[in-house]
Amino acid sequence: MKAITGVVGVLVFAVVLLATGPAIAQTTFVFGGQGEPVSLDPAIITDGVSSRITRQIYEGLVKYKGPTTEVIPALAEKWEVNKDGTVWTFSLHKGIKFHDGNPCDAAAIVWNFDRWRLSKHPQHENQIKAGQTFEYYEAQFGGFDEKSLITKVEAVNPQTVRITLKNPQGPFLANLAMFVFDIVSPKAVEKQGLSFGKNPVGTGPFKFVEWKVGQEVILEANKNYWDKAHAPKVQRVVIRNIKDNSQRLAALKAGEVHGFEGLNPDDVKVVRADPNLQIMLRPTNTTGYVAFNYKVKELRDGRVRQAIAHAINKKAIVDALYGGTGMVANQFQPPPLWGHNKELKDYEYNPERAKQLLKDAGFGQGLKEITWDDGKKEPLQFWYMPVSRPYYPNPKEISEAIAADLAKVGITVQLQTTDWAVYLDKRKNGQLPLYMLGWTGDNGDPDNFVCYFFCSPGASREGFYANQQLTGVLMEAQKLTDQPKRAVLYRKAEQMIHDDVARIFIANNQPPLPFSKKVKGYVANPTGSEFFNTVSIDK
Amino acid sequence: MGQYVIKRILTVVPVLVGISIIVFGFIHLIPGDPAVTMLGERATPERVKEIRTQLGLDEPLYTQYLIYLGKIVRGDLGSSILRGDPVFLDLVRRFPATVELAFSAILIAVLVGIPAGIVSAVWRNSLFDGCSRIMALTGVSMPIFWLGLMLAWVFGVVLGWLPTGFRLGTSVTLVPVTHFNLLDSVLTGNGAALVASARHLVLPAVALSTIPMAVINRMTRASLLEVLSQDYIRTAESKGLPQRAVVLRHAMRNALLPVMTVTGLQVGRLLAGAILTETIFSWPGIGLWIYEAIQARDYPIVQGATLFIATIFVTVNLITDCLYAAVDPRIKYD
Repeated sequence: MKAITGVVGVLVFAVVLLATGPAIAQTTFVFGGQGEPVSLDPAIITDGVSSRITRQIYEGLVKYKGPTTEVIPALAEKWEVNKDGTVWTFSLHKGIKFHDGNPCDAAAIVWNFDRWRLSKHPQHENQIKAGQTFEYYEAQFGGFDEKSLITKVEAVNPQTVRITLKNPQGPFLANLAMFVFDIVSPKAVEKQGLSFGKNPVGTGPFKFVEWKVGQEVILEANKNYWDKAHAPKVQRVVIRNIKDNSQRLAALKAGEVHGFEGLNPDDVKVVRADPNLQIMLRPTNTTGYVAFNYKVKELRDGRVRQAIAHAINKKAIVDALYGGTGMVANQFQPPPLWGHNKELKDYEYNPERAKQLLKDAGFGQGLKEITWDDGKKEPLQFWYMPVSRPYYPNPKEISEAIAADLAKVGITVQLQTTDWAVYLDKRKNGQLPLYMLGWTGDNGDPDNFVCYFFCSPGASREGFYANQQLTGVLMEAQKLTDQPKRAVLYRKAEQMIHDDVARIFIANNQPPLPFSKKVKGYVANPTGSEFFNTVSIDK
Repeated sequence: MGQYVIKRILTVVPVLVGISIIVFGFIHLIPGDPAVTMLGERATPERVKEIRTQLGLDEPLYTQYLIYLGKIVRGDLGSSILRGDPVFLDLVRRFPATVELAFSAILIAVLVGIPAGIVSAVWRNSLFDGCSRIMALTGVSMPIFWLGLMLAWVFGVVLGWLPTGFRLGTSVTLVPVTHFNLLDSVLTGNGAALVASARHLVLPAVALSTIPMAVINRMTRASLLEVLSQDYIRTAESKGLPQRAVVLRHAMRNALLPVMTVTGLQVGRLLAGAILTETIFSWPGIGLWIYEAIQARDYPIVQGATLFIATIFVTVNLITDCLYAAVDPRIKYD
């Protein structure tokens, strides 16, 4: 009898377990993040997992418009710039308050800029002592204190901020639209110190509720959000930590999350085949390329580089290995960037032409050995990355396809890879003869793509490529604030890179974002800056 | 007995020091500069140098080790490079999730493994025995990540009976008291959280229980078979005792000794965090924490967690040995 009672008890409990609970409350938007955020203090983070959350809590002076990289007002309602592009005056919206009730006025903006740029600012210094850095400020504005491009930030009146630059900077507004330059509550930072990253306070459409370590971050709609026209449509946002790619997909299919980032290319078709799911493609902002080392005698010969360009069947690679989300690239800047050169004609796939070029260069019998400048000879190695990146979702398979293409025209390569840190080390030290890498843009400005790589001629990390003329064009573009004039220069720069076959650009990728069909209004942005206040959930 | 325990405890000290040296040494033998890994594609020589100085990576190895050892002795396991949180605090926050999962898995393993082992031994070579042995072999050999994914897919996605992962659903709130969700649900009288916590525990616990279940099953069967062939069992049978009494009262007492040892070791293994299970099911315990730390080369976490795991193993072994000495007076320290 006892045994029967026990069995019945277990069965009842099992039924209760199996029959309980809706997966998600309808007014909650649940997003699957790819891991644990690092911090929720936007000034010190560099990773996408953290910034996806901070973008909901904070706002900057300006932001990117919808699915584009066009810069539009945010906390600032308008701005003016003087003639030489060195003094920017921002007028702030009136009456904006941080989630802690303190005003977001000119003084708060000045405080934020001072914290970023002055190494002796108490809330800057304490971070450095704790091992954190203001990495993006340094990268975008040249450094701190005397090195900083921003020399003065003043509150002209409670609603007006004036920023003075050492030199004009073309991408200034695009830089300010980045997540790192979102404005935090000075009072909250002073109160929390290093713990601010776990207790964030901004002005954004969502307020921070809780960070459950290892599990999720919970936000709630800010009922007092100043921009009523863009008030959040869901009551709560939960960003869950789901490290495993397959579990993210399982959770989406089971209705436990509404969408996520980081879909395996192979799973794109699984999502497309599911009537309850949809795929959104983030406009591309990423380019995978093959780079040359100019200390290798054979690769310094433009005919050899051009032969390699003609030998690679980019379309076949994109069709086969990008899960339908890739695009053939013919230049560094992806198509959505305004410096992209639409007129540029790529080296077409033409193995015969490649063979001819190799023959002209003296490699009619094929190329399989290279000579470094120090006289050392070795087989030609082609290095591929050991990790997947948006621009190369399947680096090994892509490298094999490229190697096969090269073999068809008589170039024999040995495929090589190593640990990711070692790979980056070797690339930094200029030790890789021929290698794969790529770039994902930070701020939607052409400067962030082209100048980052081609403004330091002869740098070892760029395979010692040196083109002073190209650098001159890029430096000129960087100092202008007139976008149409800058665009002309970036197009010219792309043509120069192309004509010199400085690199071979293989593919742009549009990272796929899978969502439940109940999700409406999610706007994917090339920079990954996506705002959940536009999202609603159908019942 | 007392002397044995003291001597046994003393042997633990050099083991722990050895482990700390190995842990420290290994992490420095892994190729790649942690500063470069942290900075990724954007690493510039200046930034790398800055990070190296900040992390003390430019000090000689033995100095780094001595500093590390000194801190461990004071209970300071360092702070995460990435997040700045004290490693010890993270450990305390995450360990309850691992304990909850490990004990659930062990409970399933014992509740299924021991009875199945007994039935297999008593009805040796029967159909049940054959099936049970095949299941045990499968349990030991099945890759846990595959099983985990299949369980999540079948029960979470296809049938929709159970959650595919996590510790709690997004619609349930639970005020943490001890950070053991089941216990906290009872303490706070939160029935919804109790059911939700139990539901979330089922799949990861089942996935994690397969190996210990198989090991316990095989050990119970083998041990009981050995005992059943001994003279005192024949005596008991010849007295006319029913088979149930012979097996459960007489044979099992002796047969369970090695089973207890094996179970103890499995507890140690599971408490060390199940990296694969926790990753597949987004279970926020120390396994997932270690996985993330290894990926980010967060040295202090990897070091602290490894040391902690090793300490758990050593402690569980120590307790098992001491219990054995208590149960079996023949065991002495030579």
